[in-house]
Amino acid sequence: MKGWPVTVLALTLAAAGPAAAQFPAPPPEQLKGTPVTPARLPDGRPNWTGFWVTPNGLLEVYRGPSGVSGQAPGANTRSTRRQDIPPLKSPYEERYAEALRRSAAGEIPDLVAACFPPGMPRMMVMVYGMEILQTPKIISITSEWQAATRRIWMDVKEHPPADELDPTYMGDSIGHWEGDTLVVDTVGIRDDVPLDFGQVPHSPKLTIKERFTEISPGVLVDEITIDDPDVFKEPWKYKMVYLYRPGLRLKEYVCLENNRNVDANGQAVFK
Amino acid sequence: MTTTAYSRALVTTLLVTLAAIALPVSAHHSFANFDDTKQVTLKGTVSEFQWTNPHAWLEVEVASTDGTTEKWSVEMLSPNVLGRMGWKRNSLKPGDEVTVVIHPLRTGAKGGNMVSIQDKNGVPIGGPQQ
Repeated sequence: MKGWPVTVLALTLAAAGPAAAQFPAPPPEQLKGTPVTPARLPDGRPNWTGFWVTPNGLLEVYRGPSGVSGQAPGANTRSTRRQDIPPLKSPYEERYAEALRRSAAGEIPDLVAACFPPGMPRMMVMVYGMEILQTPKIISITSEWQAATRRIWMDVKEHPPADELDPTYMGDSIGHWEGDTLVVDTVGIRDDVPLDFGQVPHSPKLTIKERFTEISPGVLVDEITIDDPDVFKEPWKYKMVYLYRPGLRLKEYVCLENNRNVDANGQAVFK
Repeated sequence: MTTTAYSRALVTTLLVTLAAIALPVSAHHSFANFDDTKQVTLKGTVSEFQWTNPHAWLEVEVASTDGTTEKWSVEMLSPNVLGRMGWKRNSLKPGDEVTVVIHPLRTGAKGGNMVSIQDKNGVPIGGPQQ
């Protein structure tokens, strides 16, 4: 699908509905400087190895290809609650309301403020940027945010049985190619991992499906579908856009190095 | 305000109507503890610059009119963002005279979130200050 004009990107994003408002399409001038990704891999697959940022993430906001700095409207700082969450079912609706109340009162910290990994799917928000490394059997995505890494197994066809799978922050991700689209299925995410800032809950039935497509050179879109029939009345769908930025390299980010905001008990310290 | 106006330690609280000049909130935690409708200007001396994750911190000593010294803690963005804005680990050193504008803590404790910083000649430090 390489070669799609930018207008197609804009239309694609507009079709995403509320999510498009949450993650607005990059302006054409931002795309103008987007470099082309490397040549295809020997097996013919797209090669996305390298560093990527979100159009309204902190790195791009301050260091756009035009060199212009400043905070873009709707900057993707992600410490605020998403507005596109589908209606919840009982009892999760009540639990979510209670979690929001306690969170607003400062009674429960966000996992990330206490230096835990953001987990899936929140990790893919990529406030800073991400490094993709592709090998034939593993596609590795490391978020500079919290140094969180997820690995997509390309040589595995099925998840382990649910009762044998260890719940993790990133879950168990298996992937395959459909043409030039990378299709990923993720299960096995820990119960205590919220799906976003704001403590959005999930059940053991949570599945996350993703379709990664490079819709124009250097512009990668992740179509995310979060399905949890016990929690949501309808699947939660949104799209993330990533821009290829080969001039940047992943930096270390160890949150426990000097976290003066939240103590080991999850209480706000700097206040 | 002239530099002379700052010849003694000066803490000025300004109510601002536009938040457009504020640095963004953090990826790491909520910034609800800061009052982004207020700005405090601190003129003082750097005692420590912590170039660390998840946030960089500036410790600045501000002389009070009564002759005592107040220690203020100023939270900044993370080094991975600051570094790509032009900041370096040696952009600030102990002893540097600086003028710092912050959004203060709501509690009234001596701390805040950095909005801008200038050296003793009024030149912005680090990277672009928007």
